[in-house]
Amino acid sequence: MTASGMTSPPVLSARNVSLGFAGTSILAGVDLTLHPQEFVAIVGASGVGKSTLLRALAGLLAPRSGRVEIPAANTPDTRAWSMVFQAPRLFPWRRVRSNVELGLEGLTLTRAERRRRALEPLALVGLDELAERWPRTLSGGQQQRVGIARALAVRPRVLFMDEPFSALDAITRRRLQQELVDLRRRTEAAIVFVTHDIEEAVLLADRVMVLGGQAPDRPAGVVQTFEVPLPLDERRDHPGFAPLVQQVEASIGNH
Amino acid sequence: MTEGLTRAQRTLYSALGLIGFLLFWELSLRSGLLPGSLVPLPSTIPSVLWLELLDGIWFEVVRSSLSHYSVGVLLGSILGITVGMSAALLPRFNAAHAWLARLLRPIPPLAWIPFAIIWFGINPSAAAFIISIGVFWINYFASYSAVHSVGPGYEEVARAFGQQRFLARLTKVSLPAAAPGILGGLRAGLGQGWMTVVAAELFGIPGIGQRMMEASSLLATDIVVVYMLTIAALYATFDFLFMLVQRRLLRWQS
Repeated sequence: MTASGMTSPPVLSARNVSLGFAGTSILAGVDLTLHPQEFVAIVGASGVGKSTLLRALAGLLAPRSGRVEIPAANTPDTRAWSMVFQAPRLFPWRRVRSNVELGLEGLTLTRAERRRRALEPLALVGLDELAERWPRTLSGGQQQRVGIARALAVRPRVLFMDEPFSALDAITRRRLQQELVDLRRRTEAAIVFVTHDIEEAVLLADRVMVLGGQAPDRPAGVVQTFEVPLPLDERRDHPGFAPLVQQVEASIGNH
Repeated sequence: MTEGLTRAQRTLYSALGLIGFLLFWELSLRSGLLPGSLVPLPSTIPSVLWLELLDGIWFEVVRSSLSHYSVGVLLGSILGITVGMSAALLPRFNAAHAWLARLLRPIPPLAWIPFAIIWFGINPSAAAFIISIGVFWINYFASYSAVHSVGPGYEEVARAFGQQRFLARLTKVSLPAAAPGILGGLRAGLGQGWMTVVAAELFGIPGIGQRMMEASSLLATDIVVVYMLTIAALYATFDFLFMLVQRRLLRWQS
């Protein structure tokens, strides 16, 4: 992340957030502060509540207690936040471009501006040529790219990504991970990225937050946070990469 | 099972089947196997149709049937889709009318004939009313289950992209996602409408049904068959045209 990002006011702050369903607590005491252009990965064992936390941070779920704030408001032509889902969840009845326009509808943009704003992120993910296609004619990787373009089109201050590459084959996943590294340089958004893939977390993030159970029958929480001080380019080959992955792995294993 | 046959072969076999059936019918009558008073000779049907056309009777009864068919189908479809979708989207409304729907649903459209006559008299409105009842229930259930089965995933996408208002969710998620089911209901309703149209006319409302009743009372079975085939042709035409619209609207599907 950039030095200017650290000095700017946070784009997201969560204080003492607890989550649960029907009388059971699943997560408690989660704190998170996110600065502009920062990338935080949330990792943890299956079922620990990573995706639930992400939804609470985005405001799609109300926390049981605690506060989540995204100080940025929607502007006439941008939205404060947007999301990339695990499955692309494109609307099959809309063409690719129209899917990307979804978040732009309701903003004060003309039809031509909407169209232009949808084509920009599509070009960024290399799919502007397929703008008029139906989603069913696209491969899984292409569909997920459209999902990313849809989220970028609204120029969010915070971008939530919920295991966006987990449903893809290994080769496509690797390609999209690299694309996300490149994309980070071209977007202003801060990113909260949920994944169960520890290598992916260390590869992409500035900070990796490990969720885990603090004790049996107690709600899970943040057990450790790792800073990733490695250069973003060619991180996978960096001598510090594998030891850090092991540390995060050990942290999940211990909790 | 039609696998293993080319399109031309299928057409050939279908045509042979139909011609065989007509031949069997014709020959059974000519040989005296079937009494001529019960069924007409198929070979006489075209000339009977021609006479009905020349007299203008055919156009008159078809126009009349079509007018209350259209009103009934339109009314039943609009109401059925509206109420069915509302039930799926508004839990309170759904609960409030659930028992009433369960009570009224099993009553066949024709059981409403007495009330149709009392309320509207023997006129086309009564027929339209009876037709609309059957069409209503088909569309009601099709729309209800289509909207009800739209997964919560799309709803969440809509909310994540600022489309959380009721109208936005309705037009951007519920309606398009449920469109295949709703259109399926509409198409079934078009068919159901033809089934009730004849019955609704049997008690004296001018139209195809009344003409068939007149003909049968004179044992003019050839005229009865002309109008049976007319209904089949009208139904097939409506169904075909609707299928074209359906295909166009659902071209996003595979």
